[in-house]
Amino acid sequence: MALLQVDDLQTRFISRDLDNQVRVAKAINGVGFSLGRGEVLGLVGETGAGKSLTAQSMIGLLRPPAKVVDGLVEFDGRDLLSMDPGALNALRGNEIALVVQNPLTSLDPLTRIGDQLIRVHRAHRKVSVAQARERAIDMMAAVGIPAPERRMRAWPHELSGGMAQRVLIAMALINEPKLLIADEPTTGLDVTVQAQILDLLRDMVRRMDMAAIVITHDLGVVAHYCDRMAVMFAGAIVESGPVDSVFAGPAHPYTQALISATPERLALGSGAIVGGPPPDLYALPEGCHYRGRCPHAAEVCGSAPPDREIGAGQVARCHFAGNLPAAFQ
Amino acid sequence: MTEASLRPTRDAAGMPRALARIVGIARRSPTAAIGMAILTGFAGLAVFAPLVMPYDPIAAFPREILTAPNSEFWLGTDGNGMDVFSRVIYGARYAFGIAIPAVILSIVIGVPLGLWTGYVGGYVDEVTMRVFDALRVFPSIILALAVVAATGQSLVNVVLVIGVLDSPIFARVVRSEVLALRSSTFVESAIAAGNPTRRILFVHLLPNAIQGAMAQTAVRAAWAVRISATLAFLGVGIQAPTPEWGAMIRQGAEFMVTGQWWVALFPGIALILMVLGLNMLGDGLQDLLNPRRKA
Amino acid sequence: MTEREAAPQVSAAAAPEPAVEPVLAAENLVKHFPADNGQVVHAVNGVSFSIRPGEVLGMVGESGSGKSTVGRMVLRLLKPTSGTVRFRGRDISALPERECRPLRADMSIVFQDPWGALNPRMKVSALIGEPLKLHTPLSSAERRRRVEELADRVHLSTAFLDRYTADLSGGQLQRVCIARAIATNPKLVVLDEPTSSLDLSVRAGILELLAELRDETQVAMLFISHDLGTVRLISDRIVVLYLGSIVEYAAAQEVFERPAHPYTQALISAHLPPDPRARLTRHVLEGEIPSPIDLPEGCPFAARCPVVQPRCGQEVPQMVPVGDDGHRAACLRIPEGGNQIPR
Repeated sequence: MALLQVDDLQTRFISRDLDNQVRVAKAINGVGFSLGRGEVLGLVGETGAGKSLTAQSMIGLLRPPAKVVDGLVEFDGRDLLSMDPGALNALRGNEIALVVQNPLTSLDPLTRIGDQLIRVHRAHRKVSVAQARERAIDMMAAVGIPAPERRMRAWPHELSGGMAQRVLIAMALINEPKLLIADEPTTGLDVTVQAQILDLLRDMVRRMDMAAIVITHDLGVVAHYCDRMAVMFAGAIVESGPVDSVFAGPAHPYTQALISATPERLALGSGAIVGGPPPDLYALPEGCHYRGRCPHAAEVCGSAPPDREIGAGQVARCHFAGNLPAAFQ
Repeated sequence: MTEASLRPTRDAAGMPRALARIVGIARRSPTAAIGMAILTGFAGLAVFAPLVMPYDPIAAFPREILTAPNSEFWLGTDGNGMDVFSRVIYGARYAFGIAIPAVILSIVIGVPLGLWTGYVGGYVDEVTMRVFDALRVFPSIILALAVVAATGQSLVNVVLVIGVLDSPIFARVVRSEVLALRSSTFVESAIAAGNPTRRILFVHLLPNAIQGAMAQTAVRAAWAVRISATLAFLGVGIQAPTPEWGAMIRQGAEFMVTGQWWVALFPGIALILMVLGLNMLGDGLQDLLNPRRKA
Repeated sequence: MTEREAAPQVSAAAAPEPAVEPVLAAENLVKHFPADNGQVVHAVNGVSFSIRPGEVLGMVGESGSGKSTVGRMVLRLLKPTSGTVRFRGRDISALPERECRPLRADMSIVFQDPWGALNPRMKVSALIGEPLKLHTPLSSAERRRRVEELADRVHLSTAFLDRYTADLSGGQLQRVCIARAIATNPKLVVLDEPTSSLDLSVRAGILELLAELRDETQVAMLFISHDLGTVRLISDRIVVLYLGSIVEYAAAQEVFERPAHPYTQALISAHLPPDPRARLTRHVLEGEIPSPIDLPEGCPFAARCPVVQPRCGQEVPQMVPVGDDGHRAACLRIPEGGNQIPR
């Protein structure tokens, strides 16, 4: 059985504008996927596609005016959406861990990093300070921080971006979570440091037999560090499947456009670029949300597209999935 | 692009859009709405004073000196036999007539000064700020007293003194905004396009730095009303029998001890209400306009 | 330091086709910033390069490499601590700002963050038209016509001209920035990470537009980026910057096919191509770029270099030729061939 099962997740932003009219943004529109132990899922898409919001919706980190209105999130046999906030809180940082984009702002600036690690460990485990301390030092060594015992006394501002990200990873993994969610874990880090952090993350996931979700806009990260990928557009997964097959034969026009738009595939001067403004979440069109930007759009796209199975585990939400010309060689 | 035109002009409850917007603002800041209501009331009184006043505010009724409130003189009469109700209403004209030009003067002096010192920085900035600090050491009322006493007691002088004394407030607010904006990319972009400094200040920085200062206007107007009334109360600037609230309170204070409370009380209430209204509007404006509150 | 500053580095004279006068020639640019308690940040330490008309020079480096500082110095948005900036033959490195202003019609910049680079209180037409207003005698009607042409030129719907920036998406805003940058037909445009904050599909459109401009005008471009894939796509030649110094300089293809400096090799190997079938040759570097406050002695890359030798900590490497076509790199081990990181 899957460790994490998400079905038809729906999240809305409900607010009032200056004219006192209620406005509803359909931010997440029926996201569903499942994830097993030892698996790394890459969640890709552009800004506003709902990648981070999906994670926040799952683990109860939404703040008003965002609200989950429907769906099912089952983690290890438990329903997260109906769980009371206290129980969910006990789960986060323990069985589910989160690594976010800005390592330096995610650390408490007034506490030494060793004490922060000890605090996180003791919040979820009944251990003595000395035991927690030992565990913290082990974790810092495991994430490749040199001289961990001495670094325990460091303040967050003394760390470089890469070091801070290592500390955050140590903090996320100190309680041996079953699920790790990494939200843009290397955005803002230099390429040479990015490689170090991604290698570390992958090793830790394999070693601890966790499941992991890596949220990123970088297809290179997905291609080399994930087992499966899910492409999001306008709050829905438009294509998902094993990384190898999706890259080899993207079936949704959006996935095709995304992969062809990478600098490595881009042929400047070909005029084949399918860009366009982001979808207006307040007024999504009927049927396929990608319709407005899709070069293959037809009349049938006015009705909701089905999830079509393309090959082993590869699914695309498009009327024409499997019947489109190959996007590139 | 057609979104705006497709918007219904009435919402579900059938409210016209303008009303809906007012309701929307009132929901987000009830303080501003109450303050605005009070001020609208006073503004109405000031504009339509001749229609509302039962008597000429400086017409003396020699036989009605210090009459207690009754059906003829609703709020009584003062020591000169003038109708307190009419004088309180007419006083609104003085309150606005001093506060509005004084605040405009503060803005005209303070805003360019804040733009300049904030953008140029260095020693121009240092000297200006130290001068402001020095000014702040004196209680402004004492400075105002001294200056008005020295320059001659006229309404114009009161306005000038209040306007000049309060201009550092606007200069500081604008300066701090400019300090934050100075290193922003759009300013660098303006420099890169070849803008002269003057244009950077007034075309690029001013519209982006003015919001904080605008949010201050109501609060500063409250201060101007208060300080002008205080000056008049102390007998500087505006003199009785001018129907100005501070001057009226000064006259009425003498009668307080002998039991004729109405002479001072009613202009006092008007003064408090107006200052309260301006402060509430000011607080509300700061909430509504503060860019850091927008999430 | 003096040794480094005096070091002869890449210059226009070394490149082929010396007949064309370069639009921009930077020689030995140095920039120091004051830091806390009297320390000095050595942001740029003797950088020289030149750009010919119609050429795109890619400048690659990680954060802290000084690449943006170089970009600002050549446009005189920053004053170099020492060294010269020759713009169309004229030394502008010490020119007072007032005298730089007329030159700004001929040089412009596009920034990384299009949301922050445009005055939110100005309409799009005013933003695009501003350089015209400042530098040309056009009437407002003529200016409006030119603004509409420019909007067409950058594939921005003219319907946006009367809107404010808040109504535009990131890609559209960057098009506004580009229209503004080319409004007065400049001879040099500095592009400081123009696509880094944009989404992938939008980024492609912007690159396409820049390539069009490169092909259709004779504008010289300095394309600054940390993303190798992007730089490779658009540049004719590339300089690689590390800790404020140029470590390698070559034609774009050459840099990727025969990287000579160990840092360039590591940079290329750390790049993740968006293709799971691509085999990665991994030379993962230890540590991070050192602080520019305490510059290391000798080679700036020595502390992280996989093929470091004891002498690298003492001797400052000079740019030496690698192969043909002006390919040069600053590594002491190039003559003996020990500069290649073993696979």
